[in-house]
Amino acid sequence: MNPVGQASWPFRFCRFLLALLREIADEGAYGRHLSALGREHSREEWRRFSERRLLAKYARPKCC
Amino acid sequence: MKVLGHLLWAAIAVLAAFCLAGIAINHGEPVNSMWMVVGAACTYAVGYRFYAKFIAARVMFLNDKRATPAERLRDGLDFEPTNKWIAFGHHFAAIAGPGPLVGPVLAAQFGYLPGTLWIIIGAVLGGAVQDFVILFASVRRDGKSLGQMAREEIGKVGGFTAMLTVLLIMTILLAVIALVVVNALKGSPWGTFTIAATMPIALFMGVYLRYWRPGKVLECSAIGFALVVLSIFGGQWVAASPAWASAFSLGAMALALSVVVYGFCASVLPVWLFLAPRDYLSTFVKLGVVVALAVGILFVRPELQLPAFTRFVDGSGPVFAGKIFPFCFITIACGAVSGFHSLISSGTTPKLIAKESHIFPIGYGAMLMESFVAVMAMIAACVLQPGVYFAVNSPAGVVGATPAAAAATISGWGFPVTAADMATLARNVGEQTLFYRTGGAPSLALGMAAIFARGGGGQAVLGFWYHFAIMFEALFILTIIAAGTRVGRFMLTDLLVHMKVGPAKPNRGIAWVIGTTLVIIAAWGYFLVQGVRDPLGGINSLWPLFGISNQLLAALALCVATTILLKMHGPKYMWITCVPLTWLATATFTASYQKIFSPLPALGFLAQARQLELGPQSPTTQELIFNARLDAAVCGLLALLVAVILVDSLRVWYGLLRGTRDTRVSEAPFVPSRLQPEEV
Repeated sequence: MNPVGQASWPFRFCRFLLALLREIADEGAYGRHLSALGREHSREEWRRFSERRLLAKYARPKCC
Repeated sequence: MKVLGHLLWAAIAVLAAFCLAGIAINHGEPVNSMWMVVGAACTYAVGYRFYAKFIAARVMFLNDKRATPAERLRDGLDFEPTNKWIAFGHHFAAIAGPGPLVGPVLAAQFGYLPGTLWIIIGAVLGGAVQDFVILFASVRRDGKSLGQMAREEIGKVGGFTAMLTVLLIMTILLAVIALVVVNALKGSPWGTFTIAATMPIALFMGVYLRYWRPGKVLECSAIGFALVVLSIFGGQWVAASPAWASAFSLGAMALALSVVVYGFCASVLPVWLFLAPRDYLSTFVKLGVVVALAVGILFVRPELQLPAFTRFVDGSGPVFAGKIFPFCFITIACGAVSGFHSLISSGTTPKLIAKESHIFPIGYGAMLMESFVAVMAMIAACVLQPGVYFAVNSPAGVVGATPAAAAATISGWGFPVTAADMATLARNVGEQTLFYRTGGAPSLALGMAAIFARGGGGQAVLGFWYHFAIMFEALFILTIIAAGTRVGRFMLTDLLVHMKVGPAKPNRGIAWVIGTTLVIIAAWGYFLVQGVRDPLGGINSLWPLFGISNQLLAALALCVATTILLKMHGPKYMWITCVPLTWLATATFTASYQKIFSPLPALGFLAQARQLELGPQSPTTQELIFNARLDAAVCGLLALLVAVILVDSLRVWYGLLRGTRDTRVSEAPFVPSRLQPEEV
């Protein structure tokens, strides 16, 4: 962090990269799912989330 | 300041023209790839800044005060306002498949120039416009799919035809990309072991994610990647061991059957166990390799060895038959204009768009990035010596069945190569032979390995990088096969329900799942086996079929887009989508006609069947004759389906222009956005 409290660009870039990777990995969506329903992370919750998520994801064609 | 800005953009435009003219005019001496990179980047910048901005401002009236479906229908799962650049990354990861990598490599048989110009100009004026307009249309219609929009904007015929076209395209796509993998792995124990190892790795990842560390996808993918890299080293050891090498040296037919069995198992296994972890891994590897290739090209700045034009512009090419027009524009679909992108632009992405202004960089910008990937693939192919390029990509049926005969034929074309050179190169990359490796993947891997090895390590690491590139290509192609077979099953079910065949209930039981999967597998498996048995290597017939089908889907998407623009503005801006539509329809219908009716047996399916009928007859010949006629029928059916959509669209446009049809657009009503800046 610089003196005025703004994150430096390499830090912001890394944060963006991590957010992008988390989004592609569905971890971002899982976090939103937990906060939207006010639930805690658990094996069963992940299973519920990923089953619904993957069912929709693999019903759509993948690009060539 | 404004004058300075104008001067800067003028300089960028001049630089783009200078670089493109440089690669076009500079004949006879090797051209540095940076001319291509800079020319492409500057053209994209100008297209993005002026053309796309014009469409966004004057045609679409993108309005950030209007709530997007991500905000209005927010469910935290599919519909979720997402940061612009994260949605961009998501969209790019979804549209970037093997097409932009393989197509340019195959089209390099014409030389580097025709394909490169088509990739750059086609993307700026056609592909990116298609993705942009379809994404915009879907966002304004609650994230509706292309098929739904075709039904609403054009009519029921368009909707049903779209459904059938997509299923046919999926079948051809799966067959052709499976053939690319088969040709890359045949007789390669190193490559086959590495790819075989990715199966237990994916199963391990599935169990890890489900039971040991649920939700830790990034961590699990990192472990999976480390294991895959280890398997590349393991493959080297396998190739060096006579006993293990023979166990993993499979012929083309054995590999094709293995891919068919894989496709069945992977698409019926629970998604969490195999497909999903494999997909996560392949997406990360794909993005990583694309970035690494870009860095490698910028760092190494290799010279292009292939000429601007080769003698094969006349249509006599060994990789595939046909002249530059229309076949260059069919061979390179993804990377310039890809109909498949319209399914993504009307699928996941519109549900993530937080603000309408984000449609601009995501819809238009991501396609430019994909086009840049295609330019990099073209560079990777063109850094190979032309003799090596043709030795790898030409089938035995064209160049001769022995290395010496093939080398003599290729040298006779003016591209010197010797069997000894090829044997040395094969040894350096840990392969037994590199002749007859049609399909584009091995030559792309050779080019990538040459670039990476020049970045550090030299000859010592050539084998590793070659097999790393093969692993990367095969990993995500096989993932697409698994996912595509599964999706094909759903599409077939939808189609049958639409035709009132089969039970309409959502849960149809395991017999239905297995039955529909077998139908899909049988469909693409048949074309795959046909490609393996084809004396001309399979790619010659299957890749143009795939290109034609993909461009026909683009024509469908552009018909929908034109109808929407016509309803919004009358005829004023319909040229934006009509120009690429006219070009694509002309190129694709010409290619379809030539593939069916050309009197040249290497090009026309029916001429090929007639020639086979005149020769000695055997069960194999009978099968080849049947296959040639089947390919002609499939090609004709695809062309007919899109002709139906075109005629239907023309009927609608005529009505709109005459004022006899309702011009109301079926957009969702305006709802003011209440999204706070910190929410995105």
